[in-house]
Formats: sequence, structure tokens, C-alpha cells
Amino acid sequence: MKPVYIAGAGMTRFGRSEWPLMQLASVASLAALKHAKLGDIPVDGVVVANMGAARMNRQTALGSALVDQLALYPATAESVENGPASGASAVKVGFQAIASGMADVVLVTGVERMRVVNGLEGTDFVASLSHPVAEYIYGVTLPSLAGMFARMFMDRFGVERKHLAMVAIKNHANAAKNPYAHIQQTVTMEGILTLPEAVVNNPPIATPLHMFDCCPVSDGAASLVLVSEAVAAKLGGPKVRIAGMGQATDTHAVHEREDPTDLKSVRLAAAMAFDRAGLTPQDVDVAELHDAFTILEIAESEASGFFPQGEGHKALERGETQLDGTLPINPSGGLKAKGHPVGATGVAQLVELTWQLRGECDARQVKDAKVAYALNFGGFGNNVVASVLQREVS
Amino acid sequence: MIANVTGMKCNACGTVSYPKHMVCPKCRGERFTDVVIEGEGTVLTYTDVYALAIEYETRYLRLAIVELDGGVRVTGQLLADKPKLGMRVRTILGIVRQGGEGAIQGLQFVAV
Repeated sequence: MKPVYIAGAGMTRFGRSEWPLMQLASVASLAALKHAKLGDIPVDGVVVANMGAARMNRQTALGSALVDQLALYPATAESVENGPASGASAVKVGFQAIASGMADVVLVTGVERMRVVNGLEGTDFVASLSHPVAEYIYGVTLPSLAGMFARMFMDRFGVERKHLAMVAIKNHANAAKNPYAHIQQTVTMEGILTLPEAVVNNPPIATPLHMFDCCPVSDGAASLVLVSEAVAAKLGGPKVRIAGMGQATDTHAVHEREDPTDLKSVRLAAAMAFDRAGLTPQDVDVAELHDAFTILEIAESEASGFFPQGEGHKALERGETQLDGTLPINPSGGLKAKGHPVGATGVAQLVELTWQLRGECDARQVKDAKVAYALNFGGFGNNVVASVLQREVS
Repeated sequence: MIANVTGMKCNACGTVSYPKHMVCPKCRGERFTDVVIEGEGTVLTYTDVYALAIEYETRYLRLAIVELDGGVRVTGQLLADKPKLGMRVRTILGIVRQGGEGAIQGLQFVAV
């Protein structure tokens, strides 16, 4: 495989947007293209990640639509729908195009506009990724799968609600330093857990998970410009390489997994990404994990290899995953507070990490970060993509 | 309306799978016999979910994963008032959702 570099990264602010779908995608794309300073080097291909536009925005073939918006004809165009892992999957498609030598410059953009439908419709749309016969018909939604996972995981490893709250408090504090985050408001242990008012502030969503354990529903777009080694050399500037990507699948119905508390697909995808990168979890300076629910940040931090099984919440409690800790997790605020426009999320994780590796994150900058890791968790763990990025020092 | 919920037993290796697949996850066999998914079992986990999909008019739903005696696991609606991990339940058939084409029947769990 030929090396693949990220030359530019851009995004819209996440949240509720009045912009139409393709305007969101275009604004993020233009920001990434400007960041890359491509000059007259042509874009060979465009890949767009999205999960729900066919249903929520009545638009399909988004890759072709984005080429048209940006007047990039005759660039190749693809659309990737892979559930909540659409974003990193689209990056993988772009990566493969450059690694194989079929392209030198690929624009990868993830976009979702889901606030256009009401909350019930939005929840039902995401729930349609669950098993149609064995899960969906029973009223299974993503929060319910997370709630059932959380109850088992907490019982087995001694994780308490205060640990879940610690994830939320940390990620809200990080998001407050991120101008692109959906929610820029800090929260406290008293406000969401220990004071009597917490019962009102933080109602149950899918027990034992409460509102501040769940990500918001967001609109937004994020974009990366991937380039070959030859183009990266021509551009100069900081060199961030996609050192390795890994992906793994698991059973559609969560109950069919041998051990439903084991995120096996995460373990396999992470191991593959680190192996291909020639690096280990110990080399990672900063990570973005898929905390659609707070419990997932803890479980993924273990399954990715950063902490032994059952130790993730203890590392969190010791402050190791704070912005100034030994392994900062979700400096962007994560899905929890930065927001979760589903198709954009996997791309946005890598946008944040590219900026981190280039030292462009201002108040939330992780000092001297050289190796970064992202985990994009699709389905409820039935399709997971892990990525390792590395800054090359010339 | 369905008469019962069925899984599949692989004719080659005897593994029972639920839900059904076109290929046996254990031995890749392609010939199966239907088996009715029913009986007693143990609650592995449960949740009261307030973030409901459309088509529900209730405030919350109580969902559970149950391991039936014999090892097959199922997801369904738990009708017990005081749910607990490890509690014993048995399956019944009931209306679990109002779909576009009318009521959908599926597995519910009641305390033994």
C-alpha cells in the first residue's frame, strides 16, 4: 500500500442548522480544501458519508451532488451508507483509492441533517439499523441497546453512575473549549447526579442511562482532504499520515453475541489498525472515542487496548483521560457534547485529531501530540472502524 | 399475526440460532429445521427505555435480553413489575408493536 496523508480538515459547527443538507456538506468541504491549500492540484475523487438523507431529507446520490455543488467534475463520486460508522468507512474508501494508486487527491465529507424531523422520527430512523425481526419490532432503539449493555457492564465491573457522570462532565468541559461543538456548557456532578434537582435535570432515557449519558441529535458536516505522498511533498506543511485503519463486524442482534459485554468488533478493529500502523495503544497521545452513550467511552477505552478490561472507569476516576491526563480522550467534547450528526461523526473524529496533530486546537490542544486514535462505532457494535494517525517529522 | 416465534436448528451440527440466518454461524450449514423459541429462562439485562420509536403511546417500555434454558438468547418485552438481573421468567406471545399493517406479535417475558 502507498502511504496516505491528510492534507486538510474542516467542519461546520455541530448543532441545529438552518442550512440545507448540501450546503452543510459544501461548507465543510470548502473549509477542508482551503486548509489543504491545494492550489491548482485537481481533486480526483469525492466520497460522501451519510446515513439518513434518503429518509429525512429525501435526497440520494450525495457524492454526485457534492461534486456538482463544488464544480469538481469530472471527479469520481461515491456515497457511503454504513450506519453510524459511515464517516470512517468513507475515509477508508478514500484511503483505499490513494493507497492503491487510483487517485492522488480525494475529498471525504460526512454530513447529516437530522433535526429536520421530530425526535421520535429521528430515534426511529436510527433504530432501523437494529435487527428488524429480533430487535426492532420490540421497540428497540439505540438508547435501549446502550441501556441494556450498560446494566450488564456496570454490574460486572463495578462501574457506578458517578463514573458515567465523570465522562459527561469531562466531555462537556472539553466541548466548552471547542467552537465547533453543539453543546458548549459545562455540567457538574451536583447538577446531574447528587443534588435533589438532578432528578429533574437528568431524567432517565434508557435506565440506567440518563439524559446526560446520551449524545444530542445534531446537524453538521465534517471533511478531510486525503492525498498521496507525491502531493503531500508538493504541498509542504505539516504531514499527518493515516498510519493504519482496521474494521470488524459482529452479529446483527446484540443478544446473539457470546458475551454481550465484550465489544469484540472494537478489539479486532483496534488490533488491526495498530498492527497496520506498526504502533501500539501505548504510543497513542490523544484519542477520539464513539461516546454516543457515556458507558461506551469507558468500554471502548478498554476494548481499544488502552486499559485492561474492567479498568477503564478507574483510569477515568484517576483523571488519566482528562485533557491534561496521560491519555486525553475526546478533547473535542466527543459525541456527548460536540454532537452526533450520524454520517459526519466518523469524519469529524479524524478532523479533530488532524488538528490536534498539527497543533491547531488552541484551548483544547493536547501538548505535543504525535500519534492519535479514533474509534467509529457502528450499529451497536456490529460494524466498527478504528484509525491510527501519525504526525511525521521531517 | 404469527402463531409463534421461530429460530432455526442446523441439520448438520444441531446448533440452534435465533434470529434465523441463511447460513449456520457455527458450521456454515445451509439446511435447517424450524424450532419454536419459548420456555423459561433468566434475565441477563433489562432497561426502561423512554426514548421510544414512533408507534408507541406508552411513557416507557421495559425491554430485556433473556437466556432461555438450553442457551438460546432472545430480546423481548419484560412484563415484570420489579425487574432484577438473574430473575426467572417465561415467554408468552403478545402484541409488541403497532406496525403499518396492524398489530405485531412477539415475545414477552413474565415472572415465573
